[in-house]
Amino acid sequence: MHTSSLLSVGNTLDECIKCNICTSYCPVSEVTDRFPGPKYVGPQAERFRELGQEKSPDHSVDYCSGCRVCNEVCPTGVRIAEINARARAQIVADRGLSLRNRLLGRNELLGKLGSFAPDLANFALHNPVSRVLAEKVVGIAQGAPLPRWHSETLNAWLARTAAQRLKSERKVVYFHGCAIQYYEPYVAFAAIAVLEHNGYEVIVPPQNCCGLPMLSNGEFEAGEGYHRGNVARLAGFARAGYAIVSTSPSCSLTLKEEAPEMLDKHDEATLILKNATWDIFEWLREEAEEGRLRTDFHPLRADGRPLVMPYHAPCQYRAHRVGKPSLDVLRLIPDLDLRESHTRCCGIAGTYGYKTEKYQIAADVGQDLFDFVLEQGDSDFVACDTETCRWQIEKFTSVANRHPIEVLAAAYGLYDLEGRRLL
Amino acid sequence: MLDLLIIGAGMAGLSAAYQAAKAGMSVHVIAKGQGVTHWHAGTIDVLGYSPIDRAPVDAPFAILDAVAAACPDHAYAILGGDRLRSSLDSFVHLSAEIGLPYHGAQDGANLLLPSPAGAARPVFLAPEAQLAGRLDSEQPMVIVGFERLRDFYPKLIAENLRKQGYTARSAFLPTSLITRRQDFNNVWLAEFTQDDVVLAQLGEALRGLVQPGERIGLPAILGMNEHNRVYTQLRQAAGAPIFEIPTLPPSVPGIRLYTALRQKLISLGVRVDIGMEVINFHADGERITWVETATSARPLKHRAQRFLLATGGILGGGIDSDHNGRVWETIFGLPITSPQDRATWFRPHFLDKTGQPVFRGGVPTAGDLRPLRGDGRPFFQNLWAAGGILAGADPILERSLEGIAIATGMAAVEGMMNEE
Repeated sequence: MHTSSLLSVGNTLDECIKCNICTSYCPVSEVTDRFPGPKYVGPQAERFRELGQEKSPDHSVDYCSGCRVCNEVCPTGVRIAEINARARAQIVADRGLSLRNRLLGRNELLGKLGSFAPDLANFALHNPVSRVLAEKVVGIAQGAPLPRWHSETLNAWLARTAAQRLKSERKVVYFHGCAIQYYEPYVAFAAIAVLEHNGYEVIVPPQNCCGLPMLSNGEFEAGEGYHRGNVARLAGFARAGYAIVSTSPSCSLTLKEEAPEMLDKHDEATLILKNATWDIFEWLREEAEEGRLRTDFHPLRADGRPLVMPYHAPCQYRAHRVGKPSLDVLRLIPDLDLRESHTRCCGIAGTYGYKTEKYQIAADVGQDLFDFVLEQGDSDFVACDTETCRWQIEKFTSVANRHPIEVLAAAYGLYDLEGRRLL
Repeated sequence: MLDLLIIGAGMAGLSAAYQAAKAGMSVHVIAKGQGVTHWHAGTIDVLGYSPIDRAPVDAPFAILDAVAAACPDHAYAILGGDRLRSSLDSFVHLSAEIGLPYHGAQDGANLLLPSPAGAARPVFLAPEAQLAGRLDSEQPMVIVGFERLRDFYPKLIAENLRKQGYTARSAFLPTSLITRRQDFNNVWLAEFTQDDVVLAQLGEALRGLVQPGERIGLPAILGMNEHNRVYTQLRQAAGAPIFEIPTLPPSVPGIRLYTALRQKLISLGVRVDIGMEVINFHADGERITWVETATSARPLKHRAQRFLLATGGILGGGIDSDHNGRVWETIFGLPITSPQDRATWFRPHFLDKTGQPVFRGGVPTAGDLRPLRGDGRPFFQNLWAAGGILAGADPILERSLEGIAIATGMAAVEGMMNEE
């Protein structure tokens, strides 16, 4: 098995004072008996786990969605979600990995395969027969919001439009992640347009999956391989002083903290990459605070009234611990009726809600958020930063989703928010 | 720039945030995690036991002068009775405004309410559902628990109440009236009771169980954000008065209060961020310019004109200690009065009447609630402190935690306003 020391994460369990605040806030244990709650599977069961032991004491830890509400509310700083993720890796090491979880961990490979023939891939994946088979044979829930391949990958678009890219002394590196590469390249179009509008040349170096889908399915060794690849490809940019920004809060979280912490990677290259990586709005908010962000915004209106847009901060922001940077930046746009969600989680938690046995749990967890979105009545779009969250919210509310960077690009007059293309 | 950054989201931080936002300041509240509001009983305790000799206090305001004379560094001595009274009045108004009205006894006396162990708990202000359990009423009580609910034992509560001369008996109801879940805690039960079917079943079961003239004591699980509706409907359905007894943590009445206050603050434009731990600060001469919180990578800076330290005492995390006996304030390294030698932390007896010295230590302040240097001048010009971090009180022993928190939280904001 992957040998990880129980350095910083494991030691925090001694801080647990058994107050049960985490269990009171856990959105998963609130809706299912299958997950007894963060305190029990985390700091309590952890005392019975040791390296190399044959049987894991508590398999219910697999029902932790990793949303990190527990970490947020813990008054004493126990890293409960990380303890759980490591415990899951131990179970995988003990019992092996299912085909389904192996597949879900490999979204880069799946994305690449489908992109050779996107129409065919979309038909093959999205027809009802395939979905029934996927549920029965593989265990991927029939109702879960699978993405569609875009007609053109981000790399193909970048190659085609290379001549139009801004050249500048000020440069920033963009980490797109797999979903943007294969399914939603228009989010990258918007990001690049915003960055260029603010005078930055955007470098999109070769990169691979951040490894998070594997890490969160307990496949640490393969995840480490991906992370090592990114460190090799990106640390040089970090050393040169460039910021590495991502529109995917889960990818940026993995580069910053998840991979180094889970895998006990504390070498110079990992750390320099960690400290150069930003969520794009975290970075834009700094630009705004320094007075560098352009504010030549056009009002965003529909039918003569400000656009109504519920915004849900994804759980990854909770783990980033940077507040709600997209909300801070979007609030600069005049005539945008943002409605902040204070609900906990959409339920999907990366690959969690795709699993047949967890699909209903994910739907139940997200119910408060879906109700909030629907209560807004006349929403034009619902905004959220992380891709699977956006798909989940759209699926359960039928309100079209947008990434906040698309909204910002539209406010600059660079992007058609309705048609999801550059103007 | 932000007018006020508050570190800590307990009663001190939240009260200060309310007062400051009402005065027109821009306010941001950050906290490492959820804290004391989720542990405490959801009541406002002002002074239950005298800090002088631990004697039970009948009416807090009647002994404030004696406290001030004997304990000049106590928060109540520093503030004086009038400021304490006016901040409690503000809280009572606020509680009505957020839909969780709190009341006290008519004559300024402490209320005596049953604890989850059946002891008589001195409380100054209580939410309506707890008020109905007043022990100065002679109405007999039936304490009703739910099978398999941890940490709530009706037999124990009733027996202890009887030992003190109150009339009480106990009863159990099946938890299946509320949920079919295998596992549950107080918070989920409170959510589940908001269901109309559950409410009707529970009301019917209580009606069948209560005897004429009795009042019913239940664990505090009667609704979360719809508490008022649940409480009213259940009393009607049961046909008898009902009161809530606060439970061991997680405490539903405390969470209700926190949630309602937080919603109020958000409506006033206050940002409340939980999960942000302050790890560094920077001062320019005698003014703090920023504090930094830990993130997933580089620290996040929070700049503000003013800062309020409301991080609590040893339990809250505002004060930490090590095995060598060192005791320190965790963020700014402010001077504190705590003993710095393990041999003097504790007295020989665990339940010593005068309490344990280590719990009385904290940050010394003057009337404007700015922490002081040894020479009596403010440590920083723009730093105030409130709540459990303050020196001179042992809030748990005295049952003064919320009184000190609310009064000093509001007084600190007053101090800031007077500064201008």
